[in-house]
This record gives sequence, structure tokens and C-alpha cells, in this order.
Amino acid sequence: MKASLRLIALAVLVALVQIGFLGWMIAGRAGILRDGAEIRLKVEPVDPRDLLRGDYVRLAYDISAIPVQLRTGSTGRSVDRGDRMCVGLEPNPDGLWQPVSLRAVDDRNGAPVGTVEICGKVTSVANGRDVRLEYGIERFYLPEGQGRAIERDMRVRTFIVVAAVDADGQAQIKALYDGKNKLYEEPLY
Amino acid sequence: MTYAARVKRDIERWRSIGWIDASVADNLAGDVDARAKRAFGFGSVLTILAAIMLAAAVLIFVAANWETIARPVRVVSLFALIFAGYVGGAVMKARGLRWPGEGAWLVAGAAFGASIALIGQMYHLSGEEVDAILTWGIGIAFAAVVLRSPASNVFAVGLAGLWLSLAMMDTELRDVHVPTVGFPIMAAVLWALSLYCRSRASRHCLLALLVYYGLLQCIHHRPWDDAAVMMAGVSALFFVLCAIFPRLAERFLAIRQAAVYGLIGFGVAMTLLQVSNSEAIVGPASLAFAGTVVALMLGGRNSAPVRWLAYVMFGAELCVVYLLTVGSMLGTAGFLAAAGLLLAATAFVIFLFERRMRSAQAGQGDRS
Repeated sequence: MKASLRLIALAVLVALVQIGFLGWMIAGRAGILRDGAEIRLKVEPVDPRDLLRGDYVRLAYDISAIPVQLRTGSTGRSVDRGDRMCVGLEPNPDGLWQPVSLRAVDDRNGAPVGTVEICGKVTSVANGRDVRLEYGIERFYLPEGQGRAIERDMRVRTFIVVAAVDADGQAQIKALYDGKNKLYEEPLY
Repeated sequence: MTYAARVKRDIERWRSIGWIDASVADNLAGDVDARAKRAFGFGSVLTILAAIMLAAAVLIFVAANWETIARPVRVVSLFALIFAGYVGGAVMKARGLRWPGEGAWLVAGAAFGASIALIGQMYHLSGEEVDAILTWGIGIAFAAVVLRSPASNVFAVGLAGLWLSLAMMDTELRDVHVPTVGFPIMAAVLWALSLYCRSRASRHCLLALLVYYGLLQCIHHRPWDDAAVMMAGVSALFFVLCAIFPRLAERFLAIRQAAVYGLIGFGVAMTLLQVSNSEAIVGPASLAFAGTVVALMLGGRNSAPVRWLAYVMFGAELCVVYLLTVGSMLGTAGFLAAAGLLLAATAFVIFLFERRMRSAQAGQGDRS
């Protein structure tokens, strides 16, 4: 009897640890949506689908490729695939945010004042001119069957993503707009 | 015929010869029956299959991203499923329902993975699947340690294999060193876990995955000749050690027939070598044939799986040689004729070997 009670207690422990971990993930993500600075970015579709998580549209942003000339701080170091870098953003008159600076994530000197910074991983450096970055917001998940239609529309009209960025530069998609038309807005939970 | 039935027939034979008396025979048969009941029967196989189906259903349901059920409801239901699965499984195990309990833990583990996927979907995380699978696997391994669950152990090994496959794909984008170094470490940890959880199936899966790891490494290092030679060497060494010291290998690896994986690894490596050297096939082909024959000599006598695998490899090797050399020149009739001859040749080798083995066994019988 004692052994079986112990087993049940251990099972409760496993369940609570796993659920606790998942809850912590959700809380972190919801925190970014709630408290992060809001930016608007122009997007284009790339191509869809993920086996485990269903339909999604892969997105490319204007800020997915950043010219090396924007580099600030200790510019002597070379940029390699896999480096983490931060991009300073400022809104242009249309309300879309444009890159104004680029720095390595550990290079505090390069951090610009008064801009929102978004950080990502370098996926490639195109012949020394553009740095390609991924910010973790390159996918938009949709209910099954809706991916293709949205993707088709995106090829003919301008779509805009509103993202929230926290103080560490981690970004998360908040809403998807078809021009001025709001298609999806993400609730906190 | 099951092991239990076979042993009981032998026991009956020994009794009729007069080597053992009736009471010993009854005791032995009783022990065999008692053990057979505890072993993995048909009912437990069905239970685990049912659990795997339920697990897959949970995962696919999340992937469908069905809007009718609000997201918070989906999250809470998955959390409830995790809780109910683990605790319910523990209750079942405590009541002696071993495999249903393990099955419930598998479903709970799938719900954990589905939750990770759902969170990715909720917040549009484009982070890598590779990392999601790793997180999932760590969660399952944790459950396996705490609950000492062999089924969860196998589940974690499976996820390690999935992680390896995904991490070795698209190495343009990712650092290939991560799986190259990471997988052996992962395998060592899971091996230790399998000893603790008493999961022989996990160890079999891990050895099979190591062969798969070797194959992926070879394919990655194109041209793969050096890597394939190394893989053949390591596999052959593993096989020889297991075949020469079967008792030691069984004690050290805590599974039977581990030599089979050495032979499979050798066969895979030799196939790779022959594919990449199809112009100069004589060297690798004769090495493959020699290896198969040596394998039969060393390990074939004591192990039926090794024996049959060696026969299959011998036949497959004949086909490879045929396809890579004369195959392009002959038509269908030629192929059929050649296939017939190949089969006859394989059968002849098997016949020779079986006869030698029988006479060797008869010789041993005379001496004793």
C-alpha cells in the first residue's frame, strides 16, 4: 500500500513539473504580448506547413535582411552565421518601422538611444552586404485549410504584422493586418 | 511457438529420457508458466498500441488548430490529460495493471508534447522543431526516471531518434556538431536510464539508432568513403567482441543478441562503400562477402538472429554486385536467370553451413 501511494505521489510530481514548465512558457510569452513595445512591420509570405503544429504561413519581413552599413559599435568583428544580433528600429511616416542600426547582442556600445531593438539569429551573410536575420516571428499559424488563401492574398496586397518586443529584444506576433483590415489578433492566452 | 511452449516441450522430452524426474519437471513447467504470465503478452501489446493511437490522436488534434474549441480550453484540457494520464497510470500500476498503466503514461507524455506544440502555435513561435523535440524528450526522460517507466524510456529514445533525424537535416542552416556530439551523449544518458528502468527494448532501440547515426554521419560526410570505412571497422569490432565473448557482452550490455547490431552496421557501411565505388567494386564486395562468412563462423553457431541476418546479407550482397555490374547489360530474362542462380548459390551456402553446424553439434554431443 505504501509503495503504491509513493508511486501515485511521484506521478503527481511528474504531472505538476510538466504542467508547471508549460505554464511558465505560456506566462513568458503572454508577458511579452502584454508589456512589450509595439512595432508594425511589412511582411511577405514565403511558404507554408508544419507537421506537428498544422497550417502556417512563413513570413519574410523588410527587416529580415539588414545592410551591413548600419552596423554600429565595435564594427571590426566579422559577422558569422549563428551570431545573435540586435536591430534598432524607428517608425517612418507611414507608421511602418525601419531599421536604423545593427549591433552584436553583447556589444553594449552599439545600443542606440531611443529606438526599439529587436534581436535575432544570423542565418547568412550575403556577400558582405546584407545580414539575414531570423527573429522567431517568421511563422503565422492558422486554422487548418486557411493557410493557402491568406498566402495567395499576401502575394497581391500589402500585409502588416504588429509585433510586441520586450526589453531583451525578443519579439512576438500580436496581430496580422491585410492593409488596414485586422485579420487576426492574438489574445494573451 | 513461444519460448514457454518450446521450453515445456523440452522439459517433457528430458523427463521422458529420464534426465529429470516428474517432480522436477512439474516445478520447471510451473516456473515457466508463472514467468510467461508476467511477460509481454498479446493483451499488453494491444494496450500499448491503443496508447500509441490515442497519443497520435492528441498530437494531430492540436495540429488541426480547430477554432471551435477556445484556446484556453484546449490548453486546460491538455493539462488535465497530462495530470490524469500520469496519476491514472500510477493508480493502475499500483493495482497491478502494469501495461495499461504504462500506456496511460505514454498518452500523458504525448499530451506534454502536444502542449509544447500548442504553445508554439498560440504564440506563432517560429523557433526550431529541433528544440521543441529536445524539450519534449527531456520531459519524457524526466517522467521515465521518476516513475521508473520502461515505456516512457522507449518513448524518450524514440524522441532522441527524431531529434537526431531533424538535427541532421538542413545542415546548411544548422551546426552539424550539435547532433554529432550531442547524440552520443544523449544515447549514453538514455542507456543509463534504461538500466535503471529495466527497459531492454530501449537498449535495442538505442543500438539500432547508433547504426542510424553512423549512416547519417556517412551521408553527411560526402564523399563518405572514410566515414564508411570507419563505420564498418567499428561495427565489425563490436560484432567480433560480442560474438567471441557472448556471456560478457550479455552481462555488460544487459541484452541478448547485441552482435546483430554490429552486423547490421557493417552491412550498411559496406553497402555505402559499394555504392560510392561502383566502378571498383571488387575490393569492397569481396570484403563484404568475407565479412558475412566470418560473421557466420564466429557468431552463427550460437545465435539464430545472427545466422539469419548473415544469410540475408549474403543474398543481398549478391544482388548488389549483380545490380552494380552486369545488371545494366542484361534484360529481364537475364535478370531472372541470374536471380535463380543467386538464390541457388545462397541456398547452397546456407546448406553447407547448416550441415557443418549440425556435425559440429553432433561431435560435441558424442564427447559429452
